[in-house]
Amino acid sequence: MNKLLLKLLLLPMGLYRSLGADEVQLRALLTVKLKMDDRKPLSTMNMGPKKKKPARFTSFWTAFVSFFTGIIYILPLLALRHEPVLGLWAYFTFFLFLLSFTLITDFSSVLLDTRDKYVVIPLPVDNRTLFLSRLLHILIYIIRIVLPMSLPGWIVMGLINWKLAVWFPLPLILLVCTSLFLVMLLYLLLLRLASPARFKNILNGFQIVLSILLFSSYYLVPQVMESARITDLKLAEVPWVKGFPTFWIAATGSWLLKAGPVAGALGYSLLAVALPAILFWVTVKWLAPGFMSRLASAEQGDEPTTVAAPQKNRRQTAPKKQRWAQWLNQSTEARAGFSLAWIQTGRSRSFRMRVLPTFAYVPVYFFYLLFLNKNASFQQVWEGLPHTARHIGLLYMGAFVLLQTLNYLIMSDQYKAAWVYFAMPLQQPGPVMAGAFKAVWVKYFLPFFLLITAFVVYVWGPAALWDVALALVNVTVFALSISVLMYRYLPFSKVEQMKERGGRFFKMLLIFVIPGALGVGHYLVWLAGFWWLKLTYLLVSSALLWLFWESYRGTSWQQLKTEVE
Amino acid sequence: MEAAIAIKGLRKNYGAKEVLKGIDLEVSPGQIIGYIGPNGAGKSTTVKILTGIIQDYEGSVQVNGLDLRTQLLEVKKQIGYIPELAEIYDLLTPREYLMFVGRLHHLEDAVTELRATRMLDSFGLLPNMDQRMDSFSKGMKQKVLLTSGLLHNPSIVIMDEPLSGLDANAVILVKELLQVLKSEGKTIFYCSHMMDVVEKVSDRIVLINQGAIVANSTIADLRAAGSDSLEQIFARLTATENTNQRVSDIAAAMQQANSTASHE
Repeated sequence: MNKLLLKLLLLPMGLYRSLGADEVQLRALLTVKLKMDDRKPLSTMNMGPKKKKPARFTSFWTAFVSFFTGIIYILPLLALRHEPVLGLWAYFTFFLFLLSFTLITDFSSVLLDTRDKYVVIPLPVDNRTLFLSRLLHILIYIIRIVLPMSLPGWIVMGLINWKLAVWFPLPLILLVCTSLFLVMLLYLLLLRLASPARFKNILNGFQIVLSILLFSSYYLVPQVMESARITDLKLAEVPWVKGFPTFWIAATGSWLLKAGPVAGALGYSLLAVALPAILFWVTVKWLAPGFMSRLASAEQGDEPTTVAAPQKNRRQTAPKKQRWAQWLNQSTEARAGFSLAWIQTGRSRSFRMRVLPTFAYVPVYFFYLLFLNKNASFQQVWEGLPHTARHIGLLYMGAFVLLQTLNYLIMSDQYKAAWVYFAMPLQQPGPVMAGAFKAVWVKYFLPFFLLITAFVVYVWGPAALWDVALALVNVTVFALSISVLMYRYLPFSKVEQMKERGGRFFKMLLIFVIPGALGVGHYLVWLAGFWWLKLTYLLVSSALLWLFWESYRGTSWQQLKTEVE
Repeated sequence: MEAAIAIKGLRKNYGAKEVLKGIDLEVSPGQIIGYIGPNGAGKSTTVKILTGIIQDYEGSVQVNGLDLRTQLLEVKKQIGYIPELAEIYDLLTPREYLMFVGRLHHLEDAVTELRATRMLDSFGLLPNMDQRMDSFSKGMKQKVLLTSGLLHNPSIVIMDEPLSGLDANAVILVKELLQVLKSEGKTIFYCSHMMDVVEKVSDRIVLINQGAIVANSTIADLRAAGSDSLEQIFARLTATENTNQRVSDIAAAMQQANSTASHE
């Protein structure tokens, strides 16, 4: 698959050359990068019998989830059949948002990777070649996501009008190029404008804010459209959409529609084609030079490295994390895992990038669900809230934060540093893993859950504390069961595969469903209204909690999954 | 006296490739063993087996009378491992990393703190003890790894290229440290390519080539065989062809590459 895509992407070599890229080097860089992705990790540690899940499965899963998400996008196409240009605009806008989101959250690290600086910088490789190689590298993975995702749209267009299906690849290419080049342009501008020392921090903050904004708008835009009675919407009523590049892209297909081309279709079509071309040209020609050296200096001018208080103070009062580690863990192995997870998650940019935005997704998703009913006003919904069981849904959404945290707790670019666990006299890895679990539970999940609790108690009153307690146990049981089944890794010992990237957003959409299903049992108990039923449920869940905890804490070397050499 | 390390018939395959072809070796307590060999000879594999990182091997390994296969944890407690060019969680500070390692060794935090501080002070790293290691040089990280390997006061120290990246002063320090450790009765398994250092510090040299031991003797005995330096002994026992011939071939190849390019 990758080889085929590589061949296709290297077809316009004349263009790359004219932009200043070196053909041989570009080909060599890309081939090597793809080869490394295929081979990562190089070997597995032999600590007992293991079955490796075939890598094809993850590719298939990502493709499946992409396809599933693609089905959601076709809704505006169907809803706006009377004004197809608008339908196409809405479809492409969703697509553009999603692509940009994926690029920012999952692929930034590929563009901004400086690990190969010692390999590449000493070689006579031009910055433009290097930048292009990274751009095309990302493009290959983006195409792998876009193809299955666009399939439902393609089918629907074919059903509406076969000519649209023939035309469809053009807007798809324009969309991918526009979003990719736009994000790259933003990054390179930021790299130029910010001082190297602050670049990474600004970027981190920028990524977090942007991904929250994109996520929110993904949910809020359809809401706005709903309230505007989307099914009756006419293009003349929303002239502002003409300012969107996605409208220009939609306009390229308007000739094929029964209604005929939109006014100014030629101009818009030209704009649609010109925009990615201009973005690409500006990025590669003007911003790419100096890219690698700026990146390298950004790396050197990293965050201030001194983090500690003066030594005397340190010894007198142990830091907060040390005290937590002492209180919450009996064994020294668990304390080691706890402290490591506490410190490392706080300092790792990629962890912050991947986990912090999820805190914002929960309220966004909650309010999205809350105001799904378009017949009621905000005031009506708010006042009626205490009489609903919506708080149960909100409490279970907290599981999402915990799962994301646990997922990235085991991953690290420095996964090879996990050799240290294997050289230590550890009876079993379980206690270290359990310590790390506790650390992220206490540091990330609990404060967030308490905030939700405060909101729930404010709106639903202290009687809801029963539900809070039950949800807290259930969410932890759920996260633990997932950990036992999927995440039996030592902290920071797993490498994130390139082909696993990109599915994150879609997985997030799906993962909201699971705690929802868990909450159903809770909701039924709430409906029944018997206090003793709640108590029984709480006791059963607590027993489950204990069982899963013991299983996780008792993880043996044979049960452990690992990628350490 | 019981051997500190006793290896019998040690074999290891990576697929069809046999990396260790039956190693037999005994190391007495308090000895410094220089374990040398060309690239790919099987040195690191031996070390990874000794430290419990690789566990599927054939043959038997005993450490201080303990069987490596059945008493792995007890063995690990007695071994301090200083890996070559090791990855390290460099978002941590040396203090935090050493505290982490100390806990995995079940050391009291206060003991770890005290030992780590004193050792890092000796390595000249005290001012950097609370700085993140992501800005550290290779040598600085290596000093932290040296400290982490010695933190629990092991009776056997396994070092895989421990001087990698260290400056001249630190090299002198480590060489003297080896002698101090030896005088305290510790056994040192020293794996390296730096022949001059191995020659100076080792009581016995074990030379491994293509997965088998080709020499196991004191440096004096090896010299008696006719060569001057360990480097020459090494070359004689492991090189398949004449080194001079190889050098000429490399130089010729470079010329050829130039002339081909100029024809194009």
